[in-house]
Amino acid sequence: MTTMRQSIFWNRVTRVLLYLAIAGLFILVVFPFYWMIVTSLQPQDAVFNVPPQFWPRHATFQNYIDAWNSAPWLRYFGNTLFVAVAATLISLVTSSLAAFAFACIDFRGKEVLFNLVLSVMMIPAATTLIPNFLIIRTLGWYDKFYALIIPFAASVFGIFLLRQYFMSMPKELWEAAQIDGASRLRYFRSIALPLAKPAIVTIAINSFLGSWTSFLWPTVMTQSQNKQLIEVALNAFLGEKGQQWSQLAAASVFTTIPIVILFFFVQRQFIEGIGGGGIKG
Amino acid sequence: MDNKLTPARRKQVIRDNVAGWLFTLPSTLVLFVFTFLPAFIVVGLSLFDTNLVGQSIFVGPGNFRQMLTSGDFWGSVLRTLYFTVGSVPIAVAVSLLIAVLLNAKVRGRTFWRMGFFIPYITPLVATSIIWLYIFNPDYGMLNATLRFVGLPVSRWLTDTASAMPAMILYSTWHDIGFAVIIFMAALSKVPTELLEAAQIDGASGWRTFWHVTWPMISPSTYFVVIIYTISAFKMFTQVAVLTQGGPVDSTTTTGYYLYQQAFGQMHFGYASAVSIGLFAIIFLLTMLQRKVTGRKVFYG
Repeated sequence: MTTMRQSIFWNRVTRVLLYLAIAGLFILVVFPFYWMIVTSLQPQDAVFNVPPQFWPRHATFQNYIDAWNSAPWLRYFGNTLFVAVAATLISLVTSSLAAFAFACIDFRGKEVLFNLVLSVMMIPAATTLIPNFLIIRTLGWYDKFYALIIPFAASVFGIFLLRQYFMSMPKELWEAAQIDGASRLRYFRSIALPLAKPAIVTIAINSFLGSWTSFLWPTVMTQSQNKQLIEVALNAFLGEKGQQWSQLAAASVFTTIPIVILFFFVQRQFIEGIGGGGIKG
Repeated sequence: MDNKLTPARRKQVIRDNVAGWLFTLPSTLVLFVFTFLPAFIVVGLSLFDTNLVGQSIFVGPGNFRQMLTSGDFWGSVLRTLYFTVGSVPIAVAVSLLIAVLLNAKVRGRTFWRMGFFIPYITPLVATSIIWLYIFNPDYGMLNATLRFVGLPVSRWLTDTASAMPAMILYSTWHDIGFAVIIFMAALSKVPTELLEAAQIDGASGWRTFWHVTWPMISPSTYFVVIIYTISAFKMFTQVAVLTQGGPVDSTTTTGYYLYQQAFGQMHFGYASAVSIGLFAIIFLLTMLQRKVTGRKVFYG
């Protein structure tokens, strides 16, 4: 009896320690976000307090107003949204078409072409940055939105993922569609694509996030202020505002919030996409 | 050989070929222009001394010779290795710890998991800004906390000795969520019968972990190590925002050095050689890791 009671006791202690460990790590990881919000609400002179205030004593939204008015943020949001949506939509179209061909159509050179496409993953983007700068300038796309969209209009990851989806569809579906007189394109649009929806969502999120958080590429490929993407603009804002931490924090908050909101809606899909793809390694 | 085909069948084959090539054309065109072609151009550029605007001088292997004898280049490689050796083991250990804790049938798992994952999806620039404030040696939160618990403080990003550890701390914080997800997925696939069998045999939790769980998840560990090492060599944004490579080059990793040489100094030929060097290093590391870890990896 005593041993059983003891083991129940120790079980409880372990559970409590487990939750304490998780909560402790959680607080450490989430704290910078809390600190970002607190700082954004502090009056500017309070950010230099030693020791810092854990809770803003005189919370104010003034920093948001000041930060918003110091730069054409609406323009930057518009640019980023436009580039991200365009790159995402185009890459979805191109990769689903290619994946469909690789999975469902017999054509000459298919295997060779597919292996070539896969081998692209071996070439890191850091290696191709300089020649791409040259190519973009030669095409006359320097400082144009084309430079931010078209190079991302294809996705090897997307082709690979969608091809697997299309290949797993039963052949009878296509045969039945043919008997009903459906063309290939119609089968692709009304049967194959809707069935691949989970893969499409995963690819769309990846592509959108990639464009929204991109920094090095737009830094190199654009120059004028009215072409800036949000992260590049935020870095320029840092250069301008130096140590005005409350305004910098406010700008960090409002440029990050769209991403966080998007993430809340798609988190299950996104996380499962990573977990599922990763273990193959 | 097409003789045996009926006219209808032959028409179908032609159609298939046309459709196949048409459907794959947009993707392959983009990949060709922006990945394949550049891979060849970069080799060409590396043989010239060029700023892409004025005249270019053919120097043959001169840029590679310069790179291999340059203290700055090797310094950047050493700093990248420092960053990798400092950050990858910590990232693996902490993310595995978090994944193991969350795997122990805790309540609100989705909530916790989301918290650990969120830094990974937030932009590097925005989060670097708040860490810049946290790292501030005079009024930052990190030193205030260290002072509060009686630990020694540091100059963090403003000192050559502590700038890289600070960079490691920030990057680990930002990237850890990815590894947590990978490890959670791997742990959930370890067969419970195996764990139960080990327990029945009287193995302690610690022994069960090392002798059953750890070998079973080794493909994921290998995957995480490779991905994090490669991303260390490409690291750019946080260096650009937090330190611009300083103080005194102490955080100039190879990825940042490459950018500086190309777009700061306009040495595009030399920077192309560095690009190829970077590619070679990433390639070698992948091979080396495969060889070193290969024997211990369990492919279930």
